[in-house]
Amino acid sequence: MKYRVMHKTSYTGREAVSIGHNQAWLEPRSISGQQVESFSLRIEPEPSIRSRQTDYFGNSVTLFSFNEGYQKLDVTATSFVTVLDQGSGANAPLAGQPWESAAELLRTHREESILRAYEFVFSSPRVNWNAEMKAYAVQSFPTGRCLLDGVRELTQRIHTDFAYDPRATTVTTPVQDAFRIRRGVCQDFAHIEIAMLRSLGLAARYVSGYLRTYPPEGQPRLVGADASHAWLSVYCGGEIWIDVDPTNNKFASTDHITLAWGRDYSDVPPLSGVFIGGGQHRLTVSVDVLPLPSKDVIRSKS
Amino acid sequence: MSTGTTPDTGSARLFQCPDTVFDEVYEADGRVRAHWQRLLHAFRQLSQNEFLRRNEQADRTLRENGVNFHAFADTAGAARPWRLDLFPLVIPSIEWAQVETGLAQRARLLNAIIRDIYGPQNLVREGLLPPELVFGNPEFMRAFWQLQPTELNPMFLYAAELARSPNGQWLVMADRSEAPAGPGFALENRIVSSRTIPSAFKQIPVERIAAFFVHLQNSLRRRAPRNSENPRTVLLTHGPTHRYYFEDVYLARYLGYTLVEGADLAVRNDCVFLKTLSGLLPVDIILCRSAESGLDPLELGANAAFGVPGLLNAVRTGNVAIANTPGCGIVGAPVFMAFFPQICEHLFGEPLQMPSIPTWWCGDPNSMAQVRDRFDTLVIKPAFQKSGGEEIIVSDLTKSDREALLNRIQTQPWIFVAQEKIARSGVPVWHESGIRCGHVAVRAFMVEDESHFRLMPGGLIRIAPDTGPMQLSVSAGDGSKDMWVLAEGKVDKVTLLAPGDQPAELRRTSALFPSRVADNLFWLGRTIDRCDFLSRVIRSLAERLLGDSSVEPLEVRFLARVLSEQGQLEPGFVVDGLESQLPALADAFPLAVFDSSEVGGLANSVSELTRLSSLVRDWLSPDTWQRIHHTAEAFQISPTHEWNDLADVVLTTNRLIGNLASVSGLISDGMNRGPSWRFLELGRSIERAGATARLLLTADLKGPTSSPAILKTLVEVLDVQMTYRFRYRDQLQRNAVLDLAITDETNPRSLVFQIERLVSHVDRLPGAETRPLRSEDMRLVMHCAHAVRMLTTEDLAAQVPRNVVNALRSVEEGMASLSNTLTRKYLVHSGTPRQITDFIGGAP
Repeated sequence: MKYRVMHKTSYTGREAVSIGHNQAWLEPRSISGQQVESFSLRIEPEPSIRSRQTDYFGNSVTLFSFNEGYQKLDVTATSFVTVLDQGSGANAPLAGQPWESAAELLRTHREESILRAYEFVFSSPRVNWNAEMKAYAVQSFPTGRCLLDGVRELTQRIHTDFAYDPRATTVTTPVQDAFRIRRGVCQDFAHIEIAMLRSLGLAARYVSGYLRTYPPEGQPRLVGADASHAWLSVYCGGEIWIDVDPTNNKFASTDHITLAWGRDYSDVPPLSGVFIGGGQHRLTVSVDVLPLPSKDVIRSKS
Repeated sequence: MSTGTTPDTGSARLFQCPDTVFDEVYEADGRVRAHWQRLLHAFRQLSQNEFLRRNEQADRTLRENGVNFHAFADTAGAARPWRLDLFPLVIPSIEWAQVETGLAQRARLLNAIIRDIYGPQNLVREGLLPPELVFGNPEFMRAFWQLQPTELNPMFLYAAELARSPNGQWLVMADRSEAPAGPGFALENRIVSSRTIPSAFKQIPVERIAAFFVHLQNSLRRRAPRNSENPRTVLLTHGPTHRYYFEDVYLARYLGYTLVEGADLAVRNDCVFLKTLSGLLPVDIILCRSAESGLDPLELGANAAFGVPGLLNAVRTGNVAIANTPGCGIVGAPVFMAFFPQICEHLFGEPLQMPSIPTWWCGDPNSMAQVRDRFDTLVIKPAFQKSGGEEIIVSDLTKSDREALLNRIQTQPWIFVAQEKIARSGVPVWHESGIRCGHVAVRAFMVEDESHFRLMPGGLIRIAPDTGPMQLSVSAGDGSKDMWVLAEGKVDKVTLLAPGDQPAELRRTSALFPSRVADNLFWLGRTIDRCDFLSRVIRSLAERLLGDSSVEPLEVRFLARVLSEQGQLEPGFVVDGLESQLPALADAFPLAVFDSSEVGGLANSVSELTRLSSLVRDWLSPDTWQRIHHTAEAFQISPTHEWNDLADVVLTTNRLIGNLASVSGLISDGMNRGPSWRFLELGRSIERAGATARLLLTADLKGPTSSPAILKTLVEVLDVQMTYRFRYRDQLQRNAVLDLAITDETNPRSLVFQIERLVSHVDRLPGAETRPLRSEDMRLVMHCAHAVRMLTTEDLAAQVPRNVVNALRSVEEGMASLSNTLTRKYLVHSGTPRQITDFIGGAP
C-alpha cells in the first residue's frame, strides 16, 4: 500500500519567540516492510541552522534552531511511503513458544538482536509498572501460554477495558494514572501495554507513526482529519518484532506507517522544542494520510 | 588524654586507636611511625594554649572566607561551616606514588568503560558487563551516546574515595567520575593549615599541590575545539543553591575562569556563547561542575530546566568541549566496582592494582548466594546511584527488618549491591576535651596530563567519629584535615601566577561581564540603600516611641506611614487616633522589624543582602563580601535575644547603619570603576532618589505650612542635621529643608546629586555611544534631572509648593520606569525556557 502523508505542526505565539531549539522525529523509518520513497521537511520561517542525525535507536531526527524571533512556526513533513503486508508474524521464532522462554532468552542470550531487544525490557522515563498492572497482565499470560496468544489477548482486553477519551489524559499523564482511570488515547494504551509486557520480562517498544483511517461509508475522506498515532512492538525472536495496536485491537498491517521507535514517547516525540518568549501560544497539528492508487507507485518509481 | 597536657608526643601516646583498625601514627609496638616523627616534633614545640589559639584562628579564617556548604541558605543556620583539624594526615611519598600508579590505571579503566558504554557496547556483548548495568540503569542517558571525544579521555578529572583497611591496604570506597567535588576544599585546607602552623609547614618538606591545578588548566586547554591560542573557558556551576557553590566560586577565581550558570550561556548555530553586557562572546571549553543530567533541556527534558538548550548538539558538532564529557557519571555507581577486575584483565591484560571495597551485585545469582550467606555483615546500597545514596547497615536492623530487606532485594535484585563494612584507619583529632581517635576518609584527585593521569600530592581528608560506614559526600563527617605528602628531597614550588619575566598585556576591562551578574549587582545596590533608608526611618520611630512625652504624635504618625508604604508596618497603625494605639505599636514594632517574612521589611532586605552578595561574590573584593556578610550576620543575630524591645531596635539599626556605611566605604574606595561598579551604583542611586522622593511626598507638603516636628524628622531621616544646623541654626524652615533635600548639589543625599550621578552612569552604559538619539533610559533620567533642576527658590518657598510636589512625582515615577527599562534592556537577556509539548491524538 502506498501513501502520501502530510503532517503539519503550527505554532503561533502572541508575542515573538526570541530563541528556539527543536528536534523532530518526523521522517519515516526505512525498514523491512516499509519503503520510504521520499521525505521532505519544510520549516517556515527558515531556521538558522538544521541538521539531520541518527539517534541512539536508529531513527532519523532533524534538529533545527532559530536565532531570529518568530511569531509563527510551520513544520510540514511530507512522506511517500510504501507499506507491505508482513503477514501475521505467526512464523516468528518465539511467537509459538511459551512466553516464559522468551523472557528467559532475553535475560540470558547475548546475540546482537536479542541484546538489542533486551534494552526494551526495562522501565524507561515514561513507562514503569506496579503490582496491579503486573497482575492485570498475568491473567493473559498463564504458565506456558504461547507468546503471541498472550499478546493478542492482552491487546484485546486493553481495547475492551479502557475507554478512548482524549480529555482524560494529557501528553504528560503518568502511565500508572492512565491505568488506574482506565482511560486515555493511543499513547496511553501503548504505554500501558508496554509496561505490562515488560513487567513479565518481555521486550516491548513504543512506535510513533500514522494510521490510515477509513471514512464512513458513502462519505468523502476528510483531508487533515487524521492524527499522529502510537502503538507498540513486541520482540518475537530473531530479527522479528510484531506490531500491535491496542487502540484498535489489531495487529499492524498495511494501515500502519512507522515513523520512529524508542522506549516510550519521550524518546521519539514528533516535535519537541525549547523556546524563550512567545507569551501565550497555540499549537495545532494536522495529519493527512492519503492512500495512493497503485499507478502512482509505478509512476513515482519510474 | 586529659586536657591538662599539651599535644605532647615525647613518650606518651597521643591517642588510642581501637585495636581493630589501622593506626596511622603508631606501629603495633607503640613506636611512632617514621614519617610522623617530624610532625610530632614540630607540634611538641607549641604550648597547649598556643595550639588552642591556632585552632581557633583556623576556624575563624575559614569562617571569614565563607567556606561552607551552601553559600547561603533559606533558613538561618542551614549553612554548615567547614571545620579543619590542625593535625594533618602524613603520608610518605613512596606510598602515595603507589596509590598514584593504582589510581592512574583505574582512571584509564573508567575512561575505557565510559567510552564503550556510550559507544560500541562491546563489554556488554562480550559478557564482561551485565546488560542490566547499562540498559536497566536510569543513569544511562541515550542523549550522551557517541558524545565522547575521539582522541581525548572523556573523564579528565577523577576522584577516588579511599579508606585504609585494618591490614594497611588502601581500598577505593567509591569512584567520582562526573564532576568530583573537593579539590577546592583541599586547596583551602592547605592554605589555612600552612598559614596557621607555618613553622611545622616550613620544617617538613611537604609536596605542594598547586602543580595539580596547573595540570588541570593545561589538560583543559588541550580540549579546545578550535586552534585557539587563548580558548575561552568557563566554569559552569549549578548556582548558589548548590551545596558546593563555595567551591565553584573558589575554583573559578583560582583557575581564572568565568563562573557561569546555565542562564548565562546561549547556543547559536551550534556554538556556545556567554551572554555579556556587550553582547555574545564565544565559549570554547566548559569546566562542568553541574550535574550532567541537567545540561540541556532540549535533549534531557524537564529535569534540565536550568540547562542550556542546544548544548549537547554543540558538543556533538565539536564546537565546544565539556569536561568531564557528559556521560562520565555512570561509572561512579557502586555496582561497577564488582566488575572492574575482570574488565581490567580483559582490556589491559593486567590485574586491577587498586582494589575496591568488596562489592557484590545482587543481580548475579552466584553473588546473591554469597550475599545471602554473609548478609548480616554487609551494607546494602542502591546499585545505580552515582553519589552513594541510601545505605543500609544490615547488622543495625532487627531480625524481621532483615528479612523484609532480603525480600525486597529478591524482588528486584539487579538494583542492589552489597558491600563489606570497612573499619577506617585511626588518626589523632583535636577536640575541646583533648585528643581523640578519628577515622580517616581520603578523597584523592586525579587529573589527566597529556596521556597519563597525575595524582594530587595531597587530598581532602574527612574524619568520621566512629568506625561505622560514613557517607561518601564531601560534606559528610566530623571535620576535615589537610594531607601532607612528604617530599623526597627538594620541594618543587609551583604557582598559578604567570611567570614574572613576561610583562602582562595591559587592560582596562575584563571583557567577560555576564548580564546575570549585572542584574544581581544592580539589585545588590538597591538593597544596600534600601536597608540604609529603612534603618534610618525605623531608628527615628523607635527613638520616638521610647522617648518621653515631648514627642508629637504627628511625627510618629508620619514615620509610621513611611514604613507602612514601604511594607514594614501594617497600615492599621497609620489611621487617625494613633495616640490610643501607641502602646500596641510599641509592642508590635520590634517584632515587625525582625520579622524576615515581612516582604519589603528590613529583616527581609537584610537577607537579600546576603543572598545577592553571595550571587556576585566573585565580583566583589573579599573585604567587601566579608563586610556585607558580617553586616547581615550582626543584624540577624539580634532577634535571637529574648529581650527584643525598642532599645534593641535602636541599637541594632544603629549598628546596621554603621556597618552599611563601611560597606559603602569599601565599595567607593576599592571597587574598580568598571561595569560591575556602575551597575551597583545605578541600583543605589535609583533606590535612594526614589525613596527620598517618596519620603518627601509622604510628608504632605500641600498645606501652607509644615509642622516643625515633621521638618525635624525629615532632616533626621535624610541625615542632614549637621549641615542644616551649620547653615540655619535650629530655625526650621520648609524651603531650607526642601533645598537641602532636593536641589542642593553639594549634599550627597539630595535628589539632584543622585540624579546627576544617574545621568553620568547611564551615559556610560554599553552601547550608549553608538546610538543616534537619546536612549529611553537616558530620556527618563534627563527628564528627572530637568524636573528637579528647573525648580526656583520661589517654588521652594511657595505657600502651596505645587511645582515641588510635581517634581517629586516625576522623580518617583521616573525612578520606577528607569529601573524597569534598565532591567529590560541590559539585565534580563533571557526569559525562562519553555518546552513545546507536541501531542498525539490517536485515531480511535
